[in-house]
Amino acid sequence: MVLKSYISKNMFRDSVYLMRLSNTVRGFAGVLEAEVIIGTDHNKKFLQSGGLWSEEIEKEAGANDLIIAIKAENEEKAEQAIQDALAELNKSVERENLLGEFVPRTFETALHNFPGANMALISIPGRYVEREADQILDAGLNMMIFSDNVTLEAEIALKNKAKEKGLLVMGPDCGTAIINGVPLAFANEVKRGKIGIVAAAGTGLQEVSTLINNLGEGISQGIGTGGRDVKEAVGGISMIMGLNALLEDEQTEVVVIVSKPPDASVTEKVLAVAQKSKKPVVVSFLGGDLNQVSAAGCVPAATLKEAAHKAVCLARNEDASGAVELKVDDNLLKEHKGKIAGSQKYLRALYSGGTLAYEALLMLQGIIKPIYTNLNYKGAEAIADVYKSTGHTIIDFGEDEFTQGRLHPMIDPSLRNTRIVNEAKDPETAVVVLDLVLGYNAHPDPAGSALEAIIEAQQLAAKEGRHLIFVTSVCGTDSDPQKRNEQVAKLEAAGVLVFPSNADAVAFLAALL
Amino acid sequence: MKELFEKELKVINIGLEGFAETLKERETPVMHVRWQPPAMGDADLLSLLDKLK
Repeated sequence: MVLKSYISKNMFRDSVYLMRLSNTVRGFAGVLEAEVIIGTDHNKKFLQSGGLWSEEIEKEAGANDLIIAIKAENEEKAEQAIQDALAELNKSVERENLLGEFVPRTFETALHNFPGANMALISIPGRYVEREADQILDAGLNMMIFSDNVTLEAEIALKNKAKEKGLLVMGPDCGTAIINGVPLAFANEVKRGKIGIVAAAGTGLQEVSTLINNLGEGISQGIGTGGRDVKEAVGGISMIMGLNALLEDEQTEVVVIVSKPPDASVTEKVLAVAQKSKKPVVVSFLGGDLNQVSAAGCVPAATLKEAAHKAVCLARNEDASGAVELKVDDNLLKEHKGKIAGSQKYLRALYSGGTLAYEALLMLQGIIKPIYTNLNYKGAEAIADVYKSTGHTIIDFGEDEFTQGRLHPMIDPSLRNTRIVNEAKDPETAVVVLDLVLGYNAHPDPAGSALEAIIEAQQLAAKEGRHLIFVTSVCGTDSDPQKRNEQVAKLEAAGVLVFPSNADAVAFLAALL
Repeated sequence: MKELFEKELKVINIGLEGFAETLKERETPVMHVRWQPPAMGDADLLSLLDKLK
């Protein structure tokens, strides 16, 4: 076994690209471990702890250099891997040329060459965001900040400045938005229509917008705010600006607000604005007080599915006053209950979408307990080891402990796939729950990837005389790059249960367990 | 924001090039910025540069 490194001076690539490239290099012949990474102090520590450290890296690599670090079976294989990695990097330059004849290095140059730009999409390391975003506001552009690790002070300063200028700041940590029909970052291809959404929950916005689309209506705007916007310190600046904009927008006839419960003062402020609206406003503060929403003259929704259904009813001038029932097919329930053995008692929910995991927890609390989870939630038990399920478990694979130095599970589901197989080895596992989130920038074939693990898991369980139930929902539309209808067909062909929404899937679980 | 909703979206993408690629593929006007940490990632040098502005 040999360790070999290569340092390319003054070469920078974005972190998602490099994580993908690292995955590719790990697949090269004879490679045991590999990282392609920028030489920041943080990354160098990461290489050190991962056993990919060398004297060359210590002496030569700086924050503007690219490191290729390889552990391989022998010298020859390591050298070949470095050469192949460099060839991939060169390909990326060629590919970048396809993005346009001209790729500027700074925002100022871009703006000069792209007059009329009205939106900046920012995904750079958090500590640099305020500096860039501030000059973008000065130039009069709206923005979506995908980056996380932006300080609270910076968020407040940027949002106050934007408010003065009448500009929209979505984020930081905003993963999803649909502006003027354009899906930004992790969003879906949905029809345009008369329902406007403002959301402090990324996958919440994806679930509601796709369900509305799949019910036959469309989205005017899908504004993201970032989760911290609804905390008292920020005061819901973006949520209130977004809400006001939708209330004034002629294309928008119905408004939906989606969020985990905001801090009390923010809830009051948001509902006060909604109360004055002439347009119907559906509010889904997941786990929040439904009566407070009704008292403000708004339409409460306990689940994301209910929010979508009620918005569609209102857009069609139909009654939306009753709760949306989640019907469970009794025959399906009986059939599956009959297949699981007595020892199989527990739920193992492996989510990639944080809001969907949270919704599941909310719906199942009080029905099954205790529930062990890595989500921060009062009514559930904190799981001791996030890598090992115990009892009823709900895991969000998008939480920091799984994404440090790794791609988000919506892009790279390999960690979750390994976990699917591990759950099958546990004789107490009865049902495995998965969300498959489609859309731009997500994995090109989430169903295909999950199925490899599902089939292996089913075979493992079958060898020991058990039947495992797989319950899924597919968040997406038939117009998404992955095509929802094709993804669903693939899963169903393998005996996986596919429900129309996360809430439907969870309702089935509640009845099953 | 009214103005934003009434105009075609034109995006300057700073950071992850995948975001620019998907916009390009669906024919949304986009210009990608190949961003790099300013001042070679040196915090002291960066604060000096900011003072010069």
